[in-house]
Amino acid sequence: MKDPHDAPMATTGAQAEPARWPAPGISALIADDEPLLRERLAQHLQRLWPALQVVAQARNGREAIELFDQFEPRVAFLDVHMPGLTGIDAARAIGRRAEVVFVTAYEQYAVQAFEQGAIDYLVKPFDEARLADTVQRLQQRLAVSEVRAPVDDALLDRLADELRRREPARRWLQWIKASIGPTVRLIPVSQVVYLRSDEKYTLVAWAGGEALIRKTIRELADELDPQAFVQVHRSTIVNLHHVAQVVRGANETADIHLRGRQEVLPVSRSFLHVFRQM
Amino acid sequence: MPAVDPFEHDPLQADRPPRFARFLAALSGTSVAVAVALGVVAAILLNPVFALPFTVVLGRTLFLAMVLLLVFAAARQWQPRRLPEWMPDWLLPVVVVGLTAPLAVALVYVLAVGGNVLDFVFSPQRVRGYLWLSAITLIMGLVLALVAVARERLAQVRARELKVELERSRLDKQSVDARLSLLQAQIEPHFLFNTLANVQALVEAGSPRAGPVLQSLIAYLRAAMPRLHAGQPTLESEIALVRAYLQLMQMRMPDRLQFEVGLPTALLGLRFPPMGLLTLVENAVRHGIDPSEEGGRIEVGGEPLPGGGARLWVSDSGVGMTETATPGLGLANLRDRLAALHGQAARLTLSEVVPRGVRAEIDLPAGRPDEGST
Repeated sequence: MKDPHDAPMATTGAQAEPARWPAPGISALIADDEPLLRERLAQHLQRLWPALQVVAQARNGREAIELFDQFEPRVAFLDVHMPGLTGIDAARAIGRRAEVVFVTAYEQYAVQAFEQGAIDYLVKPFDEARLADTVQRLQQRLAVSEVRAPVDDALLDRLADELRRREPARRWLQWIKASIGPTVRLIPVSQVVYLRSDEKYTLVAWAGGEALIRKTIRELADELDPQAFVQVHRSTIVNLHHVAQVVRGANETADIHLRGRQEVLPVSRSFLHVFRQM
Repeated sequence: MPAVDPFEHDPLQADRPPRFARFLAALSGTSVAVAVALGVVAAILLNPVFALPFTVVLGRTLFLAMVLLLVFAAARQWQPRRLPEWMPDWLLPVVVVGLTAPLAVALVYVLAVGGNVLDFVFSPQRVRGYLWLSAITLIMGLVLALVAVARERLAQVRARELKVELERSRLDKQSVDARLSLLQAQIEPHFLFNTLANVQALVEAGSPRAGPVLQSLIAYLRAAMPRLHAGQPTLESEIALVRAYLQLMQMRMPDRLQFEVGLPTALLGLRFPPMGLLTLVENAVRHGIDPSEEGGRIEVGGEPLPGGGARLWVSDSGVGMTETATPGLGLANLRDRLAALHGQAARLTLSEVVPRGVRAEIDLPAGRPDEGST
């Protein structure tokens, strides 16, 4: 078995002569971040479709695009979940220049989309019979005409969006990075009790301590989820999940008592409406 | 700013509906019924004293009962919000009712004699009647007021109990949800099928690594399955789980993941929430190693603290946490479970690693008498 550590590489001796040479058979690219799975797919393809030559193996979406541009294979097997650029991203870059087969492990939403868009896909771990079906379809398509099966761009766009939404990146701030001594602490915003403007800095207070950060209260007001974080004063944002109670005082003011912190925060008149309808 | 209500309970306890609405609410069917009943009782008691027909006496007592009810409800709602410390909040309405009783009776009499006050004053029979009626009305008024105050108290206590109950059930639901999603997150289908695909590749290739890798998968699955009869969860079993998981991940991404797991044997017997370290290691893979094309290194370690406690850590050299990366329920859940097992002194902190990566640290306090739920 080949040592998987030295991927990416061309597997047909193309290292010596990186220029493309008209392969007698049909060339293919395999992209997967897991080397054992690349190897396995390559071996099964060799057995089922000896004329197919796997000319390149890529470890991520970026490499897949680079190697595709270099070798211009006619078939590309792309793992959906890869670091950096995903298989969907790579497919969009490849466009109609090749027959694309997606490989995925249990991405239910993706499988459904592939079904609907009549896009070829393999679900890991696949058995040889399933791969044989795919091979047969590819052979038919390649034999019938040089014109590529239309890739549904809209579908790929939708899938790419879907993947991004499943990625951890979300709209609202989830962590506050605060320097405490030599270390930068990561404080989950759910633990933050309140934030208060302190000249150029902002004081972040949680049950176990507090720290100054460089962001202004204005920036934070925009970045924090308004479902939990509300401004109660020109200089104060409070996490509603840590509010114990709000006591209304005279003259249209109120005081906020907190959970996990001793101090009492004043609500200024212009922000009192936040609590009025509760 | 939207007027949001993310709570099931109302944090603004000082905020109540307008007074007039509360005043009307106080005149509920029950309080009117109680007043009518008192009026009837008073009329029956007074009947032998008066020469008048029973219906007239009843009419007067019912009228008085209604007046007292109105006065009491009004006094209750419009009394000043801030009272002197020594003054219980029921005192003022009761005093008002006490003062109103004789006045209201006087009004009844003035109406009865057609406005001729002298006629009333010089009739000893009427004065006697007035005194009787006043006395009974006073008693009726005080009974009414005290019953109302007691009912209000009871309602408050019940509301508070209900609120506590609600809060408790909310917390229960939260913890069940968290546990469920933790279990689901553990054996994530994506992880399982990808791992199985790798094992399949090893088996087909006849690799000697297939055996050990299967062993790791079995160890991982056994630990991650919901356990009905969990023994004392210790760091030793946790470390075994973490090692199994990392071995599986390294098989899958040999070029992107290196790891080291090392813990002083003295710490292995410590109680530890099951899958706690695993949560941190999975986080390191998910947020640090997996998104990175180059990958990185994960280190799991620990050391005894001078005071008798222990410090555990999971650090990675991955891409680091972006500020908008969702922390997942696992971390919050781990915090709760550490607190349940080791008290509030147990701490979980995350910090950035230079030049890149994240380090999670758990500080366990010195051993305390074992209790707490697992």
